Amino acid sequence: MKEIVIHSPEELPDAVRILLHRAARARVMAFYGEIGAGKTAFIQALCRHLGVKEEVSSPTFSIVNEYEYISPGDSLAHPVYHMDLYRLKDIEEALQIGIEEYLYSGEYCFIEWPELVEALLPEDSARIKLEIIGDSSRKILIL
Amino acid sequence: MNTVILGIESSCDDTSAAIIRDGEVLSNCVANQEAHRLYGGVVPEVASRAHQKNIIPVVDLAIKKAGIDKRQVDAIAFTRGPGLIGSLIVGVSFAKAYALSLGIPLIEVNHMEAHVLAHFAEPPRPAFPFLCLTVSGGHTQIVLVRGHLDMEVIGQTLDDAAGEAFDKTGKLLGLDYPAGPIIDRLAQKGRPVFDFPEPQIPGLDFSFSGLKTAILYFLQKQKQDDPDFIRNYMADICASVQSRIVSILINKISLAAEETGIREIAIAGGVSANSELRSALEKTGAEKGWNTYIPKFEYCTDNAAMIAITGYYKYLKGTFTSQEVEPVARWKVGG
Repeated sequence: MKEIVIHSPEELPDAVRILLHRAARARVMAFYGEIGAGKTAFIQALCRHLGVKEEVSSPTFSIVNEYEYISPGDSLAHPVYHMDLYRLKDIEEALQIGIEEYLYSGEYCFIEWPELVEALLPEDSARIKLEIIGDSSRKILIL
Repeated sequence: MNTVILGIESSCDDTSAAIIRDGEVLSNCVANQEAHRLYGGVVPEVASRAHQKNIIPVVDLAIKKAGIDKRQVDAIAFTRGPGLIGSLIVGVSFAKAYALSLGIPLIEVNHMEAHVLAHFAEPPRPAFPFLCLTVSGGHTQIVLVRGHLDMEVIGQTLDDAAGEAFDKTGKLLGLDYPAGPIIDRLAQKGRPVFDFPEPQIPGLDFSFSGLKTAILYFLQKQKQDDPDFIRNYMADICASVQSRIVSILINKISLAAEETGIREIAIAGGVSANSELRSALEKTGAEKGWNTYIPKFEYCTDNAAMIAITGYYKYLKGTFTSQEVEPVARWKVGG
């Protein structure tokens, strides 16, 4: 387990770099943490780092937001799936929106409120826990 | 002229179908208890399988309610995006098959543009150019509308949508989802005595994530002194939060009106059903000399009438879509 402490949102890009280094092979990343812990903000920083140009906003209502970035691996445009399972009631609803297609697409999948689909996550998924330790400081645990 | 358009909407939770004739809404049906009473079954929520179950009954109902025959339909308009792919694909596939079997044209519609054009469902209709504040669970945008099919987003949220600010506050207060209507109701019994900071975002963009965090800290702090703080002050907390969300929205649309010199101001989307937002817009409009436009509730939330109306304007321009069309999860307004 790796622990990173950041003291302001400006330090998010550093945390993102450390995460991507530690979990280089993971394409599915599950983000745990209470409301206001900074899950959306962290994923925004991740998407910026990957080179997503468009606005990255919360998918609580839409459930899945899709963005695009150019992968350095093949120089092609790839999708990034930003999901928020907050308003789903059970795993059945997650299956009905076709969550497995996203999870096993081989593309980046960043998930907020992933508790419901724990059993469906691919084996090499990264799990990240965000904890509030002060007004603008957060502890980031890579589990 | 008698141009009849069938509209189909399936971008998120609700399956909806509508019939309009020469821009006038004849029927606007959402798959709900009514459709299911006629056809049996229950109402499932978020699911493309639910859309599959709903779509034929709801289209049938829309045609019956409009009092027309399906052979009178001149074109079929459908939501191509943005939305959940699994949900969109049901509406797109249905529209393609329907158009093919009747030999009529297909018209793709952007869901967010359709929210704006919901204002053309009934008079009074805004004059061009106008500004539309589209606020829902998933979106917060200020759209500059130069013509029916000429729009540009000039401000949008950088993080959470306004509707989400209501829902997440509801979560912190232990209210059910969606919390917007509950907070609206509770706020009417309270007073906005707690002051939450207004985010300092330059220009016409919005941010609601900081407000959410401020509410979280505020509640944590108050609960240290009074473990029953939420219960004791529920109505006042709701009034305070709602008043701040509304002031953020009103201040930005006021700034947009100032910057563009436009005085035709409209709101759209599910959050425009909020009673304080509606009255604040009217009040500000009266002070500033705007003409304000607030759609009826049934045209605020996701509905197919707005899809059919957008389709109608595209039909008049002869903008049709080929059978090769696929749904798109991402699709910018004006893009």
